[in-house]
Amino acid sequence: MSSQEDRSTPESGGIFASRRSFLKRALAGATVGSSALLHARGAMATIGAGEKAGSTAEPASIAPSPEAFAEGNALERMRVDLHRAMQKPVADRRWGMVIDLRKCINCRACTVSCVAENALPPGVVYRPVMSEEIGSFPNVRMKFLPRPCMQCENPPCVPPCPVGATYKRPDGVVVVDYEQCIGCRYCISSCPYGARSFDFSEFHEEHAPRITDYETRPNYEYGREHKRVPENRTASPMGNARKCHFCLHRVHAGILPGCVTTCLGGATSFGDLNDPDSLVSRLSASEHVTRLKSELGTSPKVYYLT
Amino acid sequence: MKSTHRLGMGLLAIAAAAGLWATFMRLSQGMMLTNLTSNMAWGMWVAFYIYCIGLSAGSFLMSTLVYVFGMHRFERMGRIALLSALFALLGGLVFVWIDLGHPWRFYKVFTGWQVSSVLAWESLLYIFYIVIICAELWFLMRCDLARQRDDSHGPRRIFYSVAALGWRCPEKPEEREACHVRGMRGVTILGVIGIPIAIGVHGGTGALFAVVAAKPYWFSGLFPIIFLVSALVSGCGLMLFLYSFFGQRDEGFRDMLAGLRSFLIIFIGIDVLLFTSDLLVSNYSAIPGHTEVWRAVIFGHYWYVFWLGQLGLAWLLPVLITSLPATRGDSRWLGGAGACVVAGIVAVRLNLVIPAYLHEQLPGLADSLPDARSAYAYFPSAIEILSTAGLLSLLVLAFIAAWNLLPMFDVTRTSLTIDGNTRGEV
Repeated sequence: MSSQEDRSTPESGGIFASRRSFLKRALAGATVGSSALLHARGAMATIGAGEKAGSTAEPASIAPSPEAFAEGNALERMRVDLHRAMQKPVADRRWGMVIDLRKCINCRACTVSCVAENALPPGVVYRPVMSEEIGSFPNVRMKFLPRPCMQCENPPCVPPCPVGATYKRPDGVVVVDYEQCIGCRYCISSCPYGARSFDFSEFHEEHAPRITDYETRPNYEYGREHKRVPENRTASPMGNARKCHFCLHRVHAGILPGCVTTCLGGATSFGDLNDPDSLVSRLSASEHVTRLKSELGTSPKVYYLT
Repeated sequence: MKSTHRLGMGLLAIAAAAGLWATFMRLSQGMMLTNLTSNMAWGMWVAFYIYCIGLSAGSFLMSTLVYVFGMHRFERMGRIALLSALFALLGGLVFVWIDLGHPWRFYKVFTGWQVSSVLAWESLLYIFYIVIICAELWFLMRCDLARQRDDSHGPRRIFYSVAALGWRCPEKPEEREACHVRGMRGVTILGVIGIPIAIGVHGGTGALFAVVAAKPYWFSGLFPIIFLVSALVSGCGLMLFLYSFFGQRDEGFRDMLAGLRSFLIIFIGIDVLLFTSDLLVSNYSAIPGHTEVWRAVIFGHYWYVFWLGQLGLAWLLPVLITSLPATRGDSRWLGGAGACVVAGIVAVRLNLVIPAYLHEQLPGLADSLPDARSAYAYFPSAIEILSTAGLLSLLVLAFIAAWNLLPMFDVTRTSLTIDGNTRGEV
């Protein structure tokens, strides 16, 4: 099914929904979301080493499946997909993303939400949106392309790591073990998509009279609390390579990645590519799908609909 | 002469102190003191890391001319070559260490060793390499060290006792000669083992870059070979410089300089050939990933690094000095040519590392990352420059101290072949 069709089905199309059903779903969604957040701490502890080498360990319990509310828009459908995937062993999941470039309006809400979610410092951007002018006047248009980590099936960033700090999880997400990483930046040099960045231990308000609380609040990447204070510039993830991890800490709590929930145009879809009924599976099978630098054989799990 | 020497040592000491302060600042405040960015991930420190590794591998390979390939005319530089190989390697390791985001986790390279990582393999090779150099030096110097231990007092005696590892040299001349022969056999065996390791150390350092398919500028089978050849150029240049100015001025002095001069011209010739091949092949297809970087190297903002440093200092000037009849017979000129090479190879290393990052991985990526820490531009910060200059000065000071302490030329016999036939006495 193409995304055009998808937009017009009652199953996914918010524009066909009545105001009352919208409010009902929004309320339900908020309830599920907050319930999921309450469960988040429990789930977080399971991300990481336990799932490194083909483990089939289940994450801690997440919020009840919101299937009852799933008849709403694409976001709710993806949430149902996500909960269904989380019932499976980790090795049976294969997280992927489909980005519909026709829907991207370059609002950069995804970039900003990602920075906020992961408390990203200067120089660290997991999901920039690139823009390109195509054609010449009067036949000219802008093309926008959000670039998260491609979560390659054959990630070129993994073999060069001298300490095994970066690896591909059984569910296909390429992660960084912040406590193992020595900060050599070999992986950054090896990524053909420029999807890795380095944490220079800086703050956005470095030269301001005071660094505000906003910048010193911890982040919860990989399900662990990472404190960030100017007094200790050697605590990970400072001095580490960093990258997009599909917001695993949210996903394990039953919540979609930050960039997916904040996408104004509904351009970003996320889910389990191994699940034939998931939205991403169906979208990724479109004939309009393309992947970046596919000639390299990296086999990205981020698909673009053009 | 003495005052010049004092002035030089004083300047080196001041630079070393400033460099130690800069290094301390970097270690305490993190990588924010550098001008590196997420997209210019490696900079000056990595360039000097490969510079030092190149000097080390080049020096070591020069030493094998004597101890493995039996070129006894170069025997006088054997110990110098090994000692500079050791110190240059240590310098390289310091540079790569301060470049780590988490320097105190360096041990994880061994505890979390990854078979797939060139860097992990290199780390192991560096250890083997240090062991081999130290063992070779010990075999070469053990009798001299034992003698110096017996002749000295106080701290020097302790130093020589530790360095000699308790070795006792036989008293009788014939036993001493047999001991010397056994020592030389050990050096030869270690030299043979050391050749593939030295090639691995520097060819592997080149492979660190060559395997990165994401950087078309590096991604070439020729790259590790260029690394090796330019290592030989720098090693030969360093030997020429050191021996011209500080070598023993005996009857073999001129002969040795002439030999080094010839080697230098040959190595530079091969280096230029490989470089030209890489340049032409990379630019023929006009693929932006290749050509943009080359254009930046040759005509870009830092054009002088290529034209003055690489082409001028590392290649043209040394070839001219070592070829022109007016200069090629003068040891001071030849020493100067060696110094030009040693300085010029810095430009080669800078141009090998940094420009590769100038090409954005995806079109439009640079514009989508507006903050300075994501920029596709780099010039080292004051801390980077100061720490580099300071650590190099410290390295030179340590090398001078070791040179003064260790028996660099004080050999009882110089030209013994493995079967014990004496070829000549100094």
